[in-house]
Amino acid sequence: MKFSISWLQEYVDTGDLTPEALAEHLTMLGLEVDSVDPLFPELKNLVTAKVIKVESHPNADKLHLCEVDTGEEVLTIVCGAPNVREGLITAFAPVGTIMPDGTKIKASKVRGIKSFGMLCSERELGLSESHEGIMDLPADIKHGQPLLTALGMDDLVVEVDLTPNRPDCASVIGIAREVSGVTRNPLTRPVENAHLEHSAEYFRVDVENNELCPRYSAKLIKNVTIQQSPWWLRKRLLSVGLRPINNVVDITNFVMMEYGQPLHAFDYDKLAGQQIMVRNPRNNEKSFTTLDGEKRDIDPDMLLICDAEKPVAVAGVMGGLNSEVTSETTDILLESACFNPISIRKTARKLNLGSEASYRFERGVDPGGCLIVLERAAQLLCEIAGGETTVGGADYYGGVRPLNSQTIRISRTAALLGIDLDYNIIADHLTSIGMRCKPKNDDTLWVNPPTFRVDIEREADLVEEVARLVGYNNIPTSLPTVHLSYPDKDPKRELRARISNLLADTGFTEAINYSFVTEKHLDMMQLADDDSRRNQVQLLNPLSEEQSVMRSMQLPGLLENLKRNNNFQKSAVKLFEVGKVFTPQGENEQPVEKDRLTCILSGRRAGEASYLYNDSDAVDIYDAKGTAEMLLETLRLQGCSKDDAVTIRLPENDEAETYSDASQCLILDSAKGIVGQIAKLEESVAKQFGIKQDAYFIDLDFDLLCSLKAADKDFTSLPVFPAINRDIALLVPVSTKAGEILETIKKSKEKFIESSDIFDVFQGKTLEKGMKSIAVSVTYRSPTKTLTEKNVNKSHTKLINLLTSKFDGSLREG
Amino acid sequence: MEQELNTLQTLAKDELNAVTDSAQLEDFRIRFLGRKGEFSSIMKGLGKVPKEDKPRLGQLANNIKKELESLFDKKKISLNADSSASGNGSSIDLTLPGRKPETGKLHPVTQIMNEVCAIFESLGFSVAEGPDVEHDHYNFEALNIPAHHPARDMHDTFYVSDSILLRTHTSPMQARIMETQQPPLRVIAPGKVYRCDSDITHTPMFHQVEGFLVDKNVSFADLKGVLTIFTQKMFDKKLELRFRPSFFPFTEPSAEVDIACVMCNGKGCRVCKQTGWLEILGSGMIDPEVFKKVGYNPEVYSGFAFGLGIERIAMLKYGIDDIRLYYENDLRFLSQF
Repeated sequence: MKFSISWLQEYVDTGDLTPEALAEHLTMLGLEVDSVDPLFPELKNLVTAKVIKVESHPNADKLHLCEVDTGEEVLTIVCGAPNVREGLITAFAPVGTIMPDGTKIKASKVRGIKSFGMLCSERELGLSESHEGIMDLPADIKHGQPLLTALGMDDLVVEVDLTPNRPDCASVIGIAREVSGVTRNPLTRPVENAHLEHSAEYFRVDVENNELCPRYSAKLIKNVTIQQSPWWLRKRLLSVGLRPINNVVDITNFVMMEYGQPLHAFDYDKLAGQQIMVRNPRNNEKSFTTLDGEKRDIDPDMLLICDAEKPVAVAGVMGGLNSEVTSETTDILLESACFNPISIRKTARKLNLGSEASYRFERGVDPGGCLIVLERAAQLLCEIAGGETTVGGADYYGGVRPLNSQTIRISRTAALLGIDLDYNIIADHLTSIGMRCKPKNDDTLWVNPPTFRVDIEREADLVEEVARLVGYNNIPTSLPTVHLSYPDKDPKRELRARISNLLADTGFTEAINYSFVTEKHLDMMQLADDDSRRNQVQLLNPLSEEQSVMRSMQLPGLLENLKRNNNFQKSAVKLFEVGKVFTPQGENEQPVEKDRLTCILSGRRAGEASYLYNDSDAVDIYDAKGTAEMLLETLRLQGCSKDDAVTIRLPENDEAETYSDASQCLILDSAKGIVGQIAKLEESVAKQFGIKQDAYFIDLDFDLLCSLKAADKDFTSLPVFPAINRDIALLVPVSTKAGEILETIKKSKEKFIESSDIFDVFQGKTLEKGMKSIAVSVTYRSPTKTLTEKNVNKSHTKLINLLTSKFDGSLREG
Repeated sequence: MEQELNTLQTLAKDELNAVTDSAQLEDFRIRFLGRKGEFSSIMKGLGKVPKEDKPRLGQLANNIKKELESLFDKKKISLNADSSASGNGSSIDLTLPGRKPETGKLHPVTQIMNEVCAIFESLGFSVAEGPDVEHDHYNFEALNIPAHHPARDMHDTFYVSDSILLRTHTSPMQARIMETQQPPLRVIAPGKVYRCDSDITHTPMFHQVEGFLVDKNVSFADLKGVLTIFTQKMFDKKLELRFRPSFFPFTEPSAEVDIACVMCNGKGCRVCKQTGWLEILGSGMIDPEVFKKVGYNPEVYSGFAFGLGIERIAMLKYGIDDIRLYYENDLRFLSQF
């Protein structure tokens, strides 16, 4: 909602309030002021000038050579306007002015003669469509003053961000009413009361549906002359961003901005059968051409304004081309009505036709104001357009609900707001905004809200008004008295925070990607046609194809992040994300939402750390595996008891994902199913994402991970006796898996074995072809005595025999 | 001998003064104080002096030796102090960079989210999370926003089907929790929300924290108190703040909370659109209609609710000027926080 300060002042004296103070008051009343700006700032350099002398241009028939007095100097201007004449007061743009269309005025030669500025038409200044000639200002306007001052446009425009509950403030008078409450200066309206005699002399009105049209009033104005509106009227419309069209249309728009009641003007002669019918479409009425020339599909639910034969307007949204006011129009049927907000909203939505009128009808207009507004518009039509008012008219108000009295309890209001209140305080505040109050009992007031406050329906609405008028900042602050409680913590949330912190502390940076992605990811990841993740939640109204489906996997987003960082010369990238993926269920059912934990690793292992202590080696699959092991151990899902809740194993059959390099892929398995996998990104997939370096990922079902039981913390006594370490270097076929060797040692029943670890893997020319060396260190310890070499030898020899025979190897010499 | 001792004392003192590093100091020690040093060689002559002079000369020699040893120790300490201060004289170059373990960062949104949640958790609020893809019912109907209500214009909604949508705010958690639990309630609900809107100041996905408190005798003054504590903890100072009437269909009275602009301290700048104030929270007393829909008696219970945008707070706290940076996951951005 926009209004200008000078327009506002026509209805209320703003006293000594500065525009800033006014804006502050409105904001604190819940009418948030978005901006206070000068009107037409782009015209501030223009001045009024007087044409002193006009000669024809020696080199061009249609151009004039003018001497123009700008108040400060007399300049030579070349002008092509047909209406330029000696004595004319007009608008002058000096050299250097930037015009509303962006062109800069320069001193330039026109057909050989230098011109020092430009005389302007209204269109060139963005004031109207008129371009027949340069502006012809009244002769009594002094030349040499700023144009904006001369036109009375030295004004400020205020834009208010209206909340949907305050349609009564969608008008200059509505704002003035609130200002009047602040300044306590009276509100004066051009028409305060109106009465309409019923008359069917020229037309009759029938409303078929009370619900959709609670009130319909109309009046005939005869013998109007269609022409341009006077400047004061055009100025008002321009100041709030409305384009002047002709006097009749301008008056309806002006009165709408003034009172908040939309009006419509029909060309009376185009209405058949001297009748207005407010009704839904008949079966054969399928389309209708609106004022803007668009043919629109009509829906059976829409409300139409019709004459005896045909629709002539879509009620409350837009008039029809067939009854439009044109330059030939002489008789005007003026409509002032109330329509059902929901019906108007549905229609405006369906037709994709939002207008100033529909905006107000959707939020509710004052059913008590129809006649006043009709009277105001009729007066202006007579005054400005030379019309003659006819006696009486139609006023149908079968659907207007009787005024509701509300009650408000003093104790309840005081308790809800946390302040002391009494009858007088409440009544004083409510009365100041037009509500009538009287006592009901000791604790209760009867309140009659005015008809324009369509939002006041309940006690809660009145409590809000009291709070607003008392001033939120005059309400004290306190703290609620509460019962002490210890809320349970969401274990998944706790775990997510823990893992996020752990990853961040060990070199991973957290990423957050959009939940909606492109469908193309599925192909880029080379998912099989029957992969369940191809079943995605689709958005009906996405912003772009890139954000059209809810993600069914989290990895692609991180791959895009990797690519982006590589593009910006960050090659060492370790990112993680904990977020949701979505699986659709039936239509009109919520999808299943599951959390995933995904990490990617790529580029130099040491990241940005100094090359002084770190080499430039890139991460490999063991970094990814190690990260996963660290997570599992921290969560006590691995390595903390005899039975690991999660084991990391090689993939079987086709367990490796299509985007995993099958030769570098590991599966995290649990009793509740597969938790996820660790792998090197398949090269062809990397290529799809434009990634040129090796990338590794960990992708886990976070919900499943959270559901696994962590090993209890169980104390084991510290060893009393020393351990003995023995190394074994095994020469085994290259296909031998080190993990199996460790597993075999772990499961062997040999005495005293406490633990074992791989400390070297070697393959090379010095070894027999097809063989590799795996060096294992075995720790022996007894809980009851200090072991001797002899004690260990027996076990160790048996262990070596077991390993060499099982893995088809031998003990490596030397 | 007495003369010899005195000469040695003077010489040794001068030599010690001239010492500038630990190598010279060691030479000094060997020359004067060592077993084969000059002092020892003079002392060897003690056996040859007359018997009556022995005690006096012995005493003198002892005093001189003690003095020299004490001076030597002082010199040693001062030399050590010099070398550790400048690093000179040692093979350790302490100006080399440290050997630093690599660390990453939490996303700034997560950091702010954690801060916000921690403040409310300290006040005894529990934390609950809900679905991103929500029923129309919870997102709108249960919050007193029926179909075709103009308030729906305030939410540019992504739809999945007629009745399923991406939640436009975290407020649906009010209805979800009140439906299954009885007062007293103190809950916050953080999460992702979605609006079809994208420009320098809007991303189609962002994060909110919803909070509400329901009990007997909860007032608007309590709302002001709790949100004042939150705002002052969040911004680490006694910030001026104001409560301004607004409209949300699920609260009445409704209030926006503004803080004095953290960029210009309330003087007026581009960030606060010259008003000196920044909007950071929407709030209000829970509307009786919302209570009725979940079966609470609004005559018995009252409560307040609030919601805030995490990205906006991060922008204000960290001075971020382009909201799109949040979701590009550029390490040059993420590593700053």
